[in-house]
Amino acid sequence: MIFKNKTLRKVVLASSVMATSVLSGMSAHADESPIKIGVMLPYSGVYAGLGEAATNGLKQALKEKGNTIAGRPVEFIISDTEAKPARAPELTSAMTDKDNADFIIGPVHSGVAMGMIKSVRNKDSIMIIPNAGANAATGAFCQPNVFRTSFSSWQTAYPMGNQAIEMGYKKVVTLSWNYGFGKESLAAFSESFEAAGGEVVKEIFVPFPKTEFQSYLTEIASIKPDAVFVFFAGGGSVKFVKDYDAMGLKGKIPLIGSGFLTEGTIEAQGEAADGLFTTLHYADTLDNPKNKAFRAEYLSLYNKPADLYAVQGYDAGQLIIQAVEATKGNTADKKALIKAMEGVEIDSPRGSFHFSKAHNPIQNIYLRKVENGENVVVKTAAANLNDPARGCRL
Amino acid sequence: MEMSLFLVQLLNGIQYGLLLFLVASGLTLVFGVMGILNLAHGSMYMIGAYLVYYFAAMTDSFWLAVVIACSIAMVIGVIIERFLIVHLYKRDHLDQVLLTVGLIFIFNAAQSFIWGNDPLGVDVPELLSSSIQITDIVEYPVYRLFLSVLCVGIAIGMYYVINNTKLGMMIRAGESNREMVENLGVNIGTLFTVVFAVGVTLSALAGIVSAPVVSLVPGMGERVLISCFVVVVIGGMGSIKGAFVAALLVGIVDTFASVLLPGMSSMTIYLLMALILIFKPQGLFKS
Amino acid sequence: MSVFSSKAEKVFIFAFFFIALGIPLFFNENTFYVNKISTMLILSIFVMSLDYLVGRTGLITLGHAMFYGLGGYLFAIMIPEYEVVNFWLYTFYVMAASGVIALIVGFIVLRTSGIYMIMITLALAQMTFYFFADSTEYGGLDGLFIYLKPETSIFGLNFLDLDNENHFYYLCLLSLFNCYVFCKVSLHSRFGRVIDAIKENPERATALGYNIFHFRLVSYVLSSSLAAYAGYLFSLQYGFVNPTMMSWEVSASALVMAILGGLGTIFGAILGVFVYESLHYGIEHMTQYWMFWMGSLIILMVLLLKSGIAGLIEQLVGGKRK
Repeated sequence: MIFKNKTLRKVVLASSVMATSVLSGMSAHADESPIKIGVMLPYSGVYAGLGEAATNGLKQALKEKGNTIAGRPVEFIISDTEAKPARAPELTSAMTDKDNADFIIGPVHSGVAMGMIKSVRNKDSIMIIPNAGANAATGAFCQPNVFRTSFSSWQTAYPMGNQAIEMGYKKVVTLSWNYGFGKESLAAFSESFEAAGGEVVKEIFVPFPKTEFQSYLTEIASIKPDAVFVFFAGGGSVKFVKDYDAMGLKGKIPLIGSGFLTEGTIEAQGEAADGLFTTLHYADTLDNPKNKAFRAEYLSLYNKPADLYAVQGYDAGQLIIQAVEATKGNTADKKALIKAMEGVEIDSPRGSFHFSKAHNPIQNIYLRKVENGENVVVKTAAANLNDPARGCRL
Repeated sequence: MEMSLFLVQLLNGIQYGLLLFLVASGLTLVFGVMGILNLAHGSMYMIGAYLVYYFAAMTDSFWLAVVIACSIAMVIGVIIERFLIVHLYKRDHLDQVLLTVGLIFIFNAAQSFIWGNDPLGVDVPELLSSSIQITDIVEYPVYRLFLSVLCVGIAIGMYYVINNTKLGMMIRAGESNREMVENLGVNIGTLFTVVFAVGVTLSALAGIVSAPVVSLVPGMGERVLISCFVVVVIGGMGSIKGAFVAALLVGIVDTFASVLLPGMSSMTIYLLMALILIFKPQGLFKS
Repeated sequence: MSVFSSKAEKVFIFAFFFIALGIPLFFNENTFYVNKISTMLILSIFVMSLDYLVGRTGLITLGHAMFYGLGGYLFAIMIPEYEVVNFWLYTFYVMAASGVIALIVGFIVLRTSGIYMIMITLALAQMTFYFFADSTEYGGLDGLFIYLKPETSIFGLNFLDLDNENHFYYLCLLSLFNCYVFCKVSLHSRFGRVIDAIKENPERATALGYNIFHFRLVSYVLSSSLAAYAGYLFSLQYGFVNPTMMSWEVSASALVMAILGGLGTIFGAILGVFVYESLHYGIEHMTQYWMFWMGSLIILMVLLLKSGIAGLIEQLVGGKRK
């Protein structure tokens, strides 16, 4: 892939693609200028794997269309955020002011998202968030030109509260890293869990990115709750699940969590992850034709299995395709383009979804269980769940 | 806090502290003998962990992988000392900071290039994969106990070597008086190469043996480096004994702070360090 | 006696500010470059303040980013949420507040020296980093937004609009110029000569009757306030502060830039920032493994360029006048 070595920032288009675009470009607008898609994802540091998967998914979606939408070729402008929030405004300004990107896909990290959202305000570029879950992005800070194809932190944890009650848990300890994503997840879980009559006996926040969990596990053992709800992602998930098992807690105090606990980490977690229940808007094993087709194609293109992050990137690509096709290739009229985006129904590998008023997906959240190293869907924990979008005035 | 719980937490603290000692001992050894501040020390911890992951998968034997990874780390240490550090003995700490920051960049790039960026894990070796029941509900993983024993063993070994062997004598002399070592007819260049390689290998070894209980992620080296600094400074730069005491202190304080002072637990060890430096500006054991 | 310590410095300073004045005209279609260069000007102030401390006063710190971050945070915390405040007034507040903090911190860290000072400054900076990263009221790891940019009227005159990229650029350029002049003038004064003497030989300076602790403390406070001013400007540029501004990586890379530029030369800070940032920007767009090339370049520079780029230019342009 060209992306692998960024010697060329711009994707050079195959000549066949050019030919198609010339032919179809004759109609309607005769606009053959490329649609510019800025990609602002992390390619180095802790979140690099996520950035890579999202980019792959995005490119797959556009590739299915021969890298041409409504007769116009697509051009990628890729930049590495390094997941450093302090760099976000500068890089965003490069996309909006230097490259005049029509769309900006990014980021993964919530802190970076906050910096980006601030910088796209009153700009022409439309930002599509393919991961960062900060509630505020489609809540208090929602903006007409900011969309999200992933989830809000609230969505991924809220349904677990009711599930925990159904499983018969009354007293729960919650635990996560002390940062936005974790705090929002714990709050959403507690919201539904306590409304349904459960009690959160202790809320533990571990300094980010500390992974020395022994003292916290010992504390949990002394409290002896009915279950433990946690939020972790990536390396933290691997470490926590393994330590939980090694301390002998797994068989005694059930561990439940937001889906990121077992997303992209099961291989490293090994048997320690077996039997864990989590909620998320996707699972690799989802049984629908779109998901199967998507995963097969991803595997053949990139030689590794697709994951959640790839799906979210893929859907960002689908969103662009459907919206630009709806406006017949016109990306200059941003108001019309945004209106088109608000109206699309996306046939996603996770099941189809559309956008809320605040531009967050209204989507199913699944209850999943880890069996034989896979997240198996047990049932739909919440159908067409809409984020409350607190503080959004759109 | 009940007594049994207190004891388990104490065990957690000691175990964490001993692991910190293993990483920090190499840093303080190199500084004490050579006067070199190696910021890339944490990177060797990371490289060690990734190497053992790679070779454990290749050879199917954790122990064989440990040996291979240690050897490679030692070779890397010799190469860095012979080709880079050797130019810095007459320069000040600033140039060392700069050069070793450059090394951090290179190691990080190498890690990302060779092993990618997904979190990786290493399985606990079969032999030590069980757990011991210690309270009604808590089991303690045998591997963690093994780690503590190993660290204590290494600490005793270092103590013996430094106090009872010719190499140890040279190291002690090097700490206090460089000319004296030259006068003893020792080739100081060779001594430095050996010490640097050993220091780096200790750090890599810490990464290697921790690999089964941590997750392998990009940037893991820098996190360790900072904790390591705290230990070395509290103990007194260059003092192995100091590093041992300080590592246990930091391990225990950090463990209890995370339970008792949850709001400010990440600040605690830095606060401890600042307090100690106010009263003992050169650390607990000045070398 | 000339203010410039070498012909190279004179040539560079004239050329730099002359070209810099024209930058917005040159890039008037493209605000990105103006913004990018504004950021580099801000960084230059930060690195210059570090050079003042490390290169001239002889105090090595690995925690200078603490003040850079504090500058931004102090401002974000002090301002009322829905009110436009005055830029000059808050410049004073931010610098004064960080000066007071530096005074207290200085009392602690200046008791140590050398490698211990490197470590204790690092520890205090980490503490501050975690204080903000773990806090709820100051935005935690996500940081804080500054919604309204200050207005800049002074004596009823208002000629700068901070929302305008070009205006902001000139404000940064003016600030850097002032910072440079301040450093040069103070280092040329009697105070500066004592500072130089202390750096050369602390024992001798003490014997001559100078209280070196006081002189070092003053230098530490001045340098830290300048760093805070740079952080304040950075927070204004995009209306955003984040705890990573004070991470140890920021301190370390500032040190790398100062050394790269030429330690103790003051003007080298500008060189260091522009060369380092341009390389970073350039290499990063060429390869995903930019860290490898960046690391190799840094190592080569340590081994080959002993007195930084400034030293190299001095060799090329002409010897020192001093």
